[in-house]
Amino acid sequence: MNTVILNWVTFIFFGAAVFYFIHMLRGGEFWGKAATVTAFAGIAAQTVALILRWVESYHMGIGHVPLSNLYESLVFFAWTVMLLYLIMEWRIRSRSAGPFVTPFAFLLMAYASISPNISGQIQPLIPALKSNWLTSHVMTCFMGYASFAIAGGLGFMYLVKGDDGGGREGPSKSFRRFLPSRDDLDELIYQCAILGFIFLTLGIITGAVWAHYAWGRYWGWDPKETWSLITWFVYAAMLHSRYVRGWRGRRMAVMAIVGLFCVLVTYLGVNYLPGLHSYIKS
Amino acid sequence: MAKGNNHPAGEKKNAVWSFFASVRLTVFLLIVIAVTSILGTLIPQQEEAQRIMRDMPPALVSTLQALQLFDMYHSVWFLLLLLLLAVNLTVCSLNRFPHTWRLFQSARSREPSSRLEGGAADRIFTAGGTPARVAGEVEGLLRRKFRRVRRTEEGGVVTLHGEKGAFSYFGVYVIHASILIILAGAIIGSLSGFDGYVNIPEGGTVDTVKLRGGQGTRKLDFAVRCDRFAVEFYDNGMPKEYRSDLVFLKDGQVVKEGSLTVNHPIEFRGIRFYQASYGNQPGAALLTVMDGRGGKKLLKVSAGDQFELGGRKAAVSVLRIEENLMNMGPAVKLGIMSEEGGVAFWVFNRIREIEEANPGITKQVPQFNPAVFKPFYFSLGGVESAYFTGLQVSTDPGVPVVATGAMLMVAGFMMIFFFSHRQVWVRVEGRGSGSRVRIVGRCSRDPAALQRDMDTLAEVERSKSAQEKSFQ
Repeated sequence: MNTVILNWVTFIFFGAAVFYFIHMLRGGEFWGKAATVTAFAGIAAQTVALILRWVESYHMGIGHVPLSNLYESLVFFAWTVMLLYLIMEWRIRSRSAGPFVTPFAFLLMAYASISPNISGQIQPLIPALKSNWLTSHVMTCFMGYASFAIAGGLGFMYLVKGDDGGGREGPSKSFRRFLPSRDDLDELIYQCAILGFIFLTLGIITGAVWAHYAWGRYWGWDPKETWSLITWFVYAAMLHSRYVRGWRGRRMAVMAIVGLFCVLVTYLGVNYLPGLHSYIKS
Repeated sequence: MAKGNNHPAGEKKNAVWSFFASVRLTVFLLIVIAVTSILGTLIPQQEEAQRIMRDMPPALVSTLQALQLFDMYHSVWFLLLLLLLAVNLTVCSLNRFPHTWRLFQSARSREPSSRLEGGAADRIFTAGGTPARVAGEVEGLLRRKFRRVRRTEEGGVVTLHGEKGAFSYFGVYVIHASILIILAGAIIGSLSGFDGYVNIPEGGTVDTVKLRGGQGTRKLDFAVRCDRFAVEFYDNGMPKEYRSDLVFLKDGQVVKEGSLTVNHPIEFRGIRFYQASYGNQPGAALLTVMDGRGGKKLLKVSAGDQFELGGRKAAVSVLRIEENLMNMGPAVKLGIMSEEGGVAFWVFNRIREIEEANPGITKQVPQFNPAVFKPFYFSLGGVESAYFTGLQVSTDPGVPVVATGAMLMVAGFMMIFFFSHRQVWVRVEGRGSGSRVRIVGRCSRDPAALQRDMDTLAEVERSKSAQEKSFQ
């Protein structure tokens, strides 16, 4: 049942992304409203599906929060991206980031639904995951990932907007005027990076506490641990360059994209490396 | 976090100090550590490395070994990078602290009126009521929003100053200190802690653990016995729980008992035991001894056991028990010492099949002959399989230090990102029958929050005055 709804959510997110694109290219309140409403419907359905999945696991006698394997983590990742995006849309009263962020949520859902290697079945928790730290660790990490994903999307947006002051005429010029000003984008990238940095820090700390109880050490240079630290360092470098060296604009946008790459390696890439964080492989 | 704050302390500036006080160095080190860290996630480390080394060209192995890349996170150069970062962090913080301190001091003692000179203001409005009365209302609101409020009055003009959150300037130092504390905790852990592992067969007792990274063994001042190891499975075959029933013994006396599961370590005398792995190993062997005169004895033996053979003066030792010796099935190696000297041989469970497949083997290979010690004949009924539990055994006195550092880091983040230094100056002066109110605001970051602060002041002020007007 929950997987049926989640498959539908994939299409709803696709629809939302398309509407955001049309809104960006053509302007007009209608497509913008359609996009927001669709995105809302998607995340509402997704929330229902996640709750159903949670309840269902209890009916199966193996009750646990739906954050325990790759499928569930992808769905949750998409959920946090969409949630943070909608909050941002409401706060800044602009839909301009929609075309750059919502496709990411759609791709996550599509990967979860379509990939033959990913099972949507509810599985019981293996002994290593039976811990109270599961929820806080996974939630903080994915809030961080989602903030970084949005920062990365905004980074792309900044590069699309370009550094030019004018003069360049082209077919893309038409929609670029709908994009927020470079200063606003810069500020948003920075805010998202900070939010992600705080959550990543909390994710690493909760992970260290958990590792202390599960594996007997709070830090062991496991590839996932190492990559999370690499990611942390990249964002630390980014924030320091801004604070102290006054980096703005394009450099920040590039850093946000490099950071998002590190996040993706931390999340998915390390599955191809040997390590202890192997729950996520199927 | 003041902007453009390249304000060195000024006094003690030499080349070395300036080098370490540079944030450019920080960013460089962060990126170098991040990039080099990637190597360790691509090249197998420590025990993993031992396994793959054999399949690698020797030249590559020696190169990687010379660069300490098989244990790079503990290599001299990596630790040196971390040390450089720590020094950089310390010097940067010391270098900037006096400036921040002055900022903090001046923020709290600034002349309230100076900001309002020149007539510029972020908010201007007129309210009904005398300046004293309007100022009283504003002051009430200010006190709700700001920690420190000062009021000065001069010739009927009231000036108010509200200020809060100056402590957030110190958040960055809290974070930097927390990183140093975490590193200190890691050093304490690596110097005075240890990290080992041990396998205990069911029923077995150990008092020594192997140290990780091939650093030998460590003897505990107590012993651990595993009474039982159990794996529970879900209906779909996935493992549900690994559980070891452990008994801790001091001088042969039981001091503590407990069930060890994954995620629930047991601590005994400062040493923590974790359920890390498990496996199978041959347990007891069911041995039948025939004395050649029709006498038959059934024995259940474990490796290391000894027993006497009736009738002859001979002691039998169980040397080895194998579940599957050279693909010939379960086997037990016995050693017999008698007056005629010693003899050792294997007793196979499937001796009949082995003889059928290799006729005459027991004659040619006396070690495979179960009747080599005459007149006795041994046969093996089978080998029981037993679990062993794999325990991670560690102690890390640095953990409380690291935990303190982590908590401080979170506190530092909250100071920086959830608080900002915000100030407003309000001047209230009589204008006709009402009062003119001018508000100026300033903040270290988060201008939106400052705007909200000023909005509350202005809006509530307006509505209140309007209400009063209607009552008059």
